[in-house]
Amino acid sequence: MKSHDLFRVCLQNLFRRKTRTFLTVMGVVLGCCSVMIMISMGIGMKLAQEQMLSMMGDLTVIQVFAAGKGNRSKKITPKTMDAIKGIPGVLAATPRLSAEQIPITVYGGKDRRYRCVYWSAAGIKADAAEQMGYRLIDGEWNTSGQNKVLAGEQLAFLFEDQKRPSGRNMREMGTEPYFDLLKTPLILEAGEEGKKMVWEVKVSGRMKEDFSKGMETSEGLLFRIEDLQRMIDEYQRAQGKAVKQKKEWEMALVKAESIQQVAKIEEAIRKLGLSTSSMESIRKPMEQEARQKQMMFGCLGAVSLFVAALGITNTMIMSISERTKEIGVMKALGCQVRDVRTLFLLEAGTIGFIGGVLGMLVSYGLSAAMNIAASAGLTGGLMGGEELEFLGEAAGAAAVSVIPWWLSAAAVLFSVLTGLAAGYYPAKKAVEVPALEAIKHD
Amino acid sequence: MNHKIRPMIRVRNLSKTYVVGEEKAEALKGISLDIFQGEICCIFGTSGSGKSTLLNLLAGMERPTSGEVWIRGRRISQMNEEELAVFRQKYIGFIFQSYHLFPFMTAVENTAMPLMFQGVPRKKREEIAVQMLKKVGLSHRLMHYPWQMSGGQQQRAGIARAFASRPEVIFADEPTGNLDSKTTKEIMEMITGFARGYHQTIVMVTHDPEMEQYAHRVIRLVDGVIVGNERRFQGKKEET
Repeated sequence: MKSHDLFRVCLQNLFRRKTRTFLTVMGVVLGCCSVMIMISMGIGMKLAQEQMLSMMGDLTVIQVFAAGKGNRSKKITPKTMDAIKGIPGVLAATPRLSAEQIPITVYGGKDRRYRCVYWSAAGIKADAAEQMGYRLIDGEWNTSGQNKVLAGEQLAFLFEDQKRPSGRNMREMGTEPYFDLLKTPLILEAGEEGKKMVWEVKVSGRMKEDFSKGMETSEGLLFRIEDLQRMIDEYQRAQGKAVKQKKEWEMALVKAESIQQVAKIEEAIRKLGLSTSSMESIRKPMEQEARQKQMMFGCLGAVSLFVAALGITNTMIMSISERTKEIGVMKALGCQVRDVRTLFLLEAGTIGFIGGVLGMLVSYGLSAAMNIAASAGLTGGLMGGEELEFLGEAAGAAAVSVIPWWLSAAAVLFSVLTGLAAGYYPAKKAVEVPALEAIKHD
Repeated sequence: MNHKIRPMIRVRNLSKTYVVGEEKAEALKGISLDIFQGEICCIFGTSGSGKSTLLNLLAGMERPTSGEVWIRGRRISQMNEEELAVFRQKYIGFIFQSYHLFPFMTAVENTAMPLMFQGVPRKKREEIAVQMLKKVGLSHRLMHYPWQMSGGQQQRAGIARAFASRPEVIFADEPTGNLDSKTTKEIMEMITGFARGYHQTIVMVTHDPEMEQYAHRVIRLVDGVIVGNERRFQGKKEET
């Protein structure tokens, strides 16, 4: 038989038993839906977690710390930096220098009218800033020139007006600051009277506040590491202390190419004798939990698909016992064994396919409805458990159910396969019907 | 009778024993016969005479307990299911007592069915089916479903189906069993007419003595044994 003839006869057969076909298809629709919705909820949960984690900090950035104390400690040196850069999967690495040990006062505005005493300074390699997850609100990444810096989001509100009485000389956050950091150069001053050090820096951009990166993103300045190092060296010299020739840092930042590589890179860095910290230690157990839940959900859904498969088998067996005579006639008229088998497998597979496609469409609808309900706050507490509560306002934005294209494709495919598997036994039965059935008188 | 012609159907020592529990029932007891091309052969017998069993064995629907059946020189009693299906497609047609048309198919689709099993494209096979239906006088019932037709009309469609693929041998199982005498006459004349036109061999099982007048060969079975095998020429008796 030609394949399109097989298909036509298959559809004719399904269509002539409309009610039964419809009910069987509905079984598959339900099964397919429950699998899809369950898995999509698992995916939604995982995405919500990732979203939450990325809000807490960049998932692919690893912080590296010098380990131990005293002479036996392992410091971060240019040599270790090179070693880190050599680890496969590392996109960028930079030492991070902070200047907590020297008190620097910042002046801004006309005639150094505005003053800021308490702020944070950090230095990293200029070209790595963007990769390390620093974000700009204003200005640009123009850190190539000497003494160019990036200011923290709230730094402007830390300045006090020296011409106003104390207590009324600062602007509240959220109002207009005294001056625009990006337009006036800042004067940095350190040291006691007599041997004062003065540097002038230009702010080229304002960073977005991100405490996982450090205080400098909020209330401080981010320097090019060379500039900050030079300032510290000059200060030390002016203080009469020896300047260390060998460069060493307490901390470094490493950017991995992808989340999957973070754990491996961390392990490699630890082998160098350094300690590390990243979101991986939080992400991993959460991911495992999410996967477990997804599996559990998927299994629950699969149970209903299995029930649907039993429904298909039942329907097919009934239809075969009804059609025994018909199968006999077909064989007597010269229908080949393989065509009989194909015909019945095709019928079961078609039920699976129609059920799968309908189930997919219904799932999209249900998924959309669930997301609308969730964003209205109806099911937020119900679905997410502690993680979503922990998420706070971010949970509202995250979808409860997410259906990626591969899930819908897999659901349809799985339904068809279920149909074929369910039709295997009935098709075998049909093949065994002898042509003699056509002549038997009942 | 020309003995040089090789028989279309050749049966030798054919036996069939059914085992029901402890009981053994011998339906056929070593039958031998020849049916030649173009012959219309009627197998007569009362119920339980083994006539249905004989037809089943001739058509390869059952396996004999012993003995052989050849059709067109091929030993069909030794064929497997797949070989039988191909053989039936090519050389054999069936007419059933209760028509056995497919209820969800039109007259044209039903008639074209054996051709569909052969893999003939739809357009071509439906053309042939329409021609056949016109020949059996159903040109006004082409797109009707079986339940929209009378018994006689359904059997005509059944005949159109059996002859559609021009098989060399047609087996008919009580083809007029469910029809009145007037329709029976029409149907029989139709079958014999077609068979004569294409020199086809027809093997028919019946218990209606009226059928004798259409037969070239009459085989009478009693208790699984042939008690009579007459060759007739245009309805006249001719002893063999």
